[in-house]
Amino acid sequence: MTRTVVIGGGADALVAAQLLAGAGREVMVIEGENASREEGWVPPEVLRALRLEGLTLEWPDPWISVPLPAGGRLELWRDMARSIESIRRVSPQDAARWPAFCKRMARLARFLEALYAAPPPDPLSAGFALRARRLGRQGLEDLLRVLPTPVAELLDDWFENDALKGALGAAGVLHLLQGPRSGGTAFRLLHHHVGCPPGVFRPPRSNLPELLRRLPRVELQHAEVRRVAVRGGAVAGVVLQDGRELDAAMVVSSADAHRSLLELVEPGWLDPDLIRALRHVRRRGVAARLRIQLDRSPGFVTLALAPSLDYLERAYDDAKHGRVSRQPYVEARCDAQHRVEVHVQYAPYGVDCSKLGDTVLAMLSEHWGDAAPHEGELLSPQDLEQSEGWPQGQPHHAELSLDQALWMRPLPELARYRTPIHGLWLCGAGMHPGAGITGAAGFNCAQEILRR
Amino acid sequence: MASFDAVIIGGGHNGLVCAAYLARAGRKVLVLERREQVGGAAVTEEVFPGFRFSVFSYVVSLLRPEIIRDLDLPRHGLHILPLESTITPLENGDYLGQWNDHDQNRRELARHSLRDAEAYDEFGLMLHQMARAIKPLLGMAPPDPSSFSLKNLSGMAALARHFRSLGPGRFPMLHKLLTMSSADFLDEWFETEALKATKSASGIIGTMLGPRSPGTAYVLLHHYMGELDGVFRAWGFAKGGNGSVSAAIAAAARAAGAEIRCNAEVSKVLIIRGRARGVVLENGDEIRAKLVVSGADPRRTFMQLVGEKHLPDEFVESIRRFRFRGSSAKVNLALGELPNFTCLPGRGAHLRGAISISPSVGYLERAYDDAKYGEISQRPYMDIVIPSMLDPTMAPPGKHVMSIFVQYAPYHVNGGWTDERREALGDAVVDTLAQYAPNLKRAVLHRQVVTPADIERIVGLTEGNIFQGELSLQQMFFLRPVPAWAKYRTPLAGLYQCGAGTHPGGGVMGASGRNAARAILGAP
Repeated sequence: MTRTVVIGGGADALVAAQLLAGAGREVMVIEGENASREEGWVPPEVLRALRLEGLTLEWPDPWISVPLPAGGRLELWRDMARSIESIRRVSPQDAARWPAFCKRMARLARFLEALYAAPPPDPLSAGFALRARRLGRQGLEDLLRVLPTPVAELLDDWFENDALKGALGAAGVLHLLQGPRSGGTAFRLLHHHVGCPPGVFRPPRSNLPELLRRLPRVELQHAEVRRVAVRGGAVAGVVLQDGRELDAAMVVSSADAHRSLLELVEPGWLDPDLIRALRHVRRRGVAARLRIQLDRSPGFVTLALAPSLDYLERAYDDAKHGRVSRQPYVEARCDAQHRVEVHVQYAPYGVDCSKLGDTVLAMLSEHWGDAAPHEGELLSPQDLEQSEGWPQGQPHHAELSLDQALWMRPLPELARYRTPIHGLWLCGAGMHPGAGITGAAGFNCAQEILRR
Repeated sequence: MASFDAVIIGGGHNGLVCAAYLARAGRKVLVLERREQVGGAAVTEEVFPGFRFSVFSYVVSLLRPEIIRDLDLPRHGLHILPLESTITPLENGDYLGQWNDHDQNRRELARHSLRDAEAYDEFGLMLHQMARAIKPLLGMAPPDPSSFSLKNLSGMAALARHFRSLGPGRFPMLHKLLTMSSADFLDEWFETEALKATKSASGIIGTMLGPRSPGTAYVLLHHYMGELDGVFRAWGFAKGGNGSVSAAIAAAARAAGAEIRCNAEVSKVLIIRGRARGVVLENGDEIRAKLVVSGADPRRTFMQLVGEKHLPDEFVESIRRFRFRGSSAKVNLALGELPNFTCLPGRGAHLRGAISISPSVGYLERAYDDAKYGEISQRPYMDIVIPSMLDPTMAPPGKHVMSIFVQYAPYHVNGGWTDERREALGDAVVDTLAQYAPNLKRAVLHRQVVTPADIERIVGLTEGNIFQGELSLQQMFFLRPVPAWAKYRTPLAGLYQCGAGTHPGGGVMGASGRNAARAILGAP
C-alpha cells in the first residue's frame, strides 16, 4: 500500500495533497469537522505549481480606520495618496514620512516574501548571506535592526501621531502574547505586510480553500483521525475515530506539531528531548472573536480601536498578569450583509471572558450610529479551539515570534517538515512560514517530500 | 604645545584599558578625565565620613581575564573577593538560596523543587557551552555584514564557520538565547518562581524591558559570561570597591608610560581639514594628537564633542536612534547594624553574598509596568551586596555599607527627576527591603540615592544608561553603535571610539577598550 493520507482540510493540507497527487501519489484527505476558513496572502509560487486560476485576494478598503479623539477617522487605504491625505489631517509630519516608511518596510517584506515560498533557509549558508546582501546596505541594516525591535520603538522613530501608531502597532501583536513594547514585534508588522501593497499591513482574504476544493485528483473523506499507526518507527496508517483503519505509507498532518506527534502518535516513538521541546512550543491563544449581525450598515468597512501604543500595552499588561484586557484591542470588519466580525485581544486562553462580549459591544456601539445588533456571539480561545481546531485557540499553532520563525519553526529539529517517524510529515500553520500565509507551508512541505 | 600619538577622552575603565594597551605598544598616550578621579562609573568614594562606596558599578565579573593577565592587574593592586551566594527572600517568609558550592546549591534547590535541582546542572552546562561559543566574539572587531570587502566577507564566513563548528543544536540554542525572553527561556528549564525570577533579573539589568520581553535572554548570557580565575559565573567584589579596579588599570597604564590628567574636561574634538587632530579643553587649551579616542558614549561623542556638521546625515540619524533610556538607580546605605532578614535571621554566610529582591517573574513585570508609563517602581527589583562584610575597610568598625542596585527607575520619569522624586525612590527601596529585613529602617544612618539623572550628571553617561546604550539585540555586535561603524572607527578620520557603546559593551568588562586599542594598532 503506498497511499498518502493528509490530515486536515485547510489550505495547507489541500495544497500539499494536490501537489503530491500531481506527482502521481494516491492521496486521501481526511477532513475533520472543524475545517476553518483562512485568510492570508497566497504566494504566487503556490498558484503556479497548482496551475490555479481565479484566485482573488481581497483587502477591505480602507484596510483600517481608526476613530480620532476629536471626531472623524484616520483611514489607511490601498491608495497611498488617500492615506497620505488622511494622515495629513492629524499630522503633516507623519504624512510626509509615510511614503518613505512604506517604501522601507515594503523592501523588507519582499525579502521575507522570497523566504516564505521555500523551505526555511540555512542561516549559516553562503547562499542565505548573499540573498540578504542583495537588500543593499541600507536594506540589510534595516533588516538587522528592525526584526528584533519592539514595534513601538520602530513607530516612535518614524511617527508622532498616537492614532496612527496604535493602528500600525496592533499589527505587531496580532495573536501574540506580547505588547508593542516587547522585542521582536516589529518583525510581526513585516510579516503581516508580506504580499501586501506598500502601505497595507493586514493580510488579505483569499478564496484559495474553495478553489482547492474544486480540484479533482484527491479523495476527500469526512472523519476524525484518532491516531497515526506507527510500526517499527515508520508510519503504517491512520486509525479513525469510528475505529476504521486506513493503511498508508505516508501521513502528512496539518495539525499542529504538538498534536501530530504527542497526541496522534502513541508515546514511545520519540526522543524524550524532542518531547520536552515540543511541550515548550508556545502556542497560547490570546484573542476572542465576536460575530455580530447588524440590521443596517455601521458606516465602516473596518474599524480598529487602538487609540495609542500605550493603550495596546495596557491591554497586554492585563493579559500578562493572567487577566482579560479591561480595555481590549478591537478590530472589526463588516461585510455587505452587515455581518461584523470582531477580533478582540487580549483574552488569554483558559481565562473566563464571558463578560468580554458586552464590553466590546459597548465600545463598538459608539461607532456604528443607529445600527442595532440582532445577535452576537463571542467565541473565546477555548471555543475557537473546539470549533476551529486551533490549539489553545492559537490560529498560528505556534506563536510567530523570532524564536519560533523560519529555521526555528516550530522547532529546529522539525523545521524541514520531516519528523523522526519515517513517513510522517508536518504541513500546518505551525510550520514555516505558516501563520496566515495561506498554503505556503503545505507547498513547502510537498516540495520537501518530493525532493527525496 | 605637547603632541601625543593618541589622546583619550574619558578615564573610565575602557579608556584606561585602551590607554594601557596603546602605551604598552609604545604609543605616547594622554588620558583626559573630567572629574577629579579616574574610573568613570567604576569609582570608590567616601560618601559619608568613614563609609566608602562603589557609588555606581559595584561588582566585578565581566572584566576580561586576558586584560587582567596582559596588564598584570593583581600586581597593580587588583584583588577580587568572591561573592559566594545569592539569596532571594520570598514573600511567604522563606527564601531561595543559590550557592557557589555545588552540593549546597543542589540541596537548597531540592528543598524547593527536585525537578529544578535535577535540571540545574544541565542548565549550567548548556549556558557554559553557550558562553564559550560567544566568548571568541567578545574579543573581535565585528565584521560589517553589508560590506563587500574581502576582509569583511572573510570575517562573516569565519563567523559562520565558528557557529557551524559548535556542533548540532548549538546554533539553534544560541538563536533562542538571542531572541527569547528570559522568562520564557527559563520556563523551559525550571518551575520554581523565585529561581526563574532571580535568574531572569540578570536579563533585565540596564534595559528598559521586562523579563517577558523577547531579547532579554541574551543579557542573561552576557551576565553569565563573568569569568573569575577561569570560573564561569562567579561574581566578585573588588577589595577597596570598584574604584580599585580603575586604580589598578590606571596604574598599569601609567607604568606603561601613559599620562593621565584629571580635572581636564574636553569640550570639543579639534577638527582640522576633516580630520580629528586633538581636543579642546573647557579652559580653552588645545591638545594636539595624531589620533583621538573617545571613551564617552556615542551620543556625547558625536552630537556634543564632534558636532553633527562634521558627520554624514545618515550616521547622525543612526546615532539619534541609538537608544539609551537608563532604567536603573543605585541606593547606597550606611548602616549602624547589619540587616536582619526574617527568612535567615542573624549574621550568616548569606550576608557575604548577594541578596536579590525578585520573588517572582510577576513581581519583576509589575515593577516594569510602573516604569513603562513613566513612574518609578513602587516595589522595585533590587540586587544588594554588603561590601563591608567582605572588606571591613569600607566602613568604620562595627558599621556597614550596603549597595543596592535598583530597577526600574526610568530616566524619562513623568515630570522629570526632582529632589522629592529622588527621596521617593529611596523610600520605596527602604520600605520594600524593610519588609524582608524589619530592622533596616532603624539601621540606616545615611542614605545616598543615585538616579539615572544623577548618573548622567556626575559620570556623563547619556540618560544614565549604565551600558552606554541599551544592550538589546538591535544594538549589539555589528550594530553597536551604528551598522558599518562597529569596528571602533568613526566617519571622522582620526577619531576612534573605545567606550561601552561599542561592541561588546556593558559591565566593567574592558573588552571595548581592548578591542579599540587593537583596532588602532592594526591587530588582526
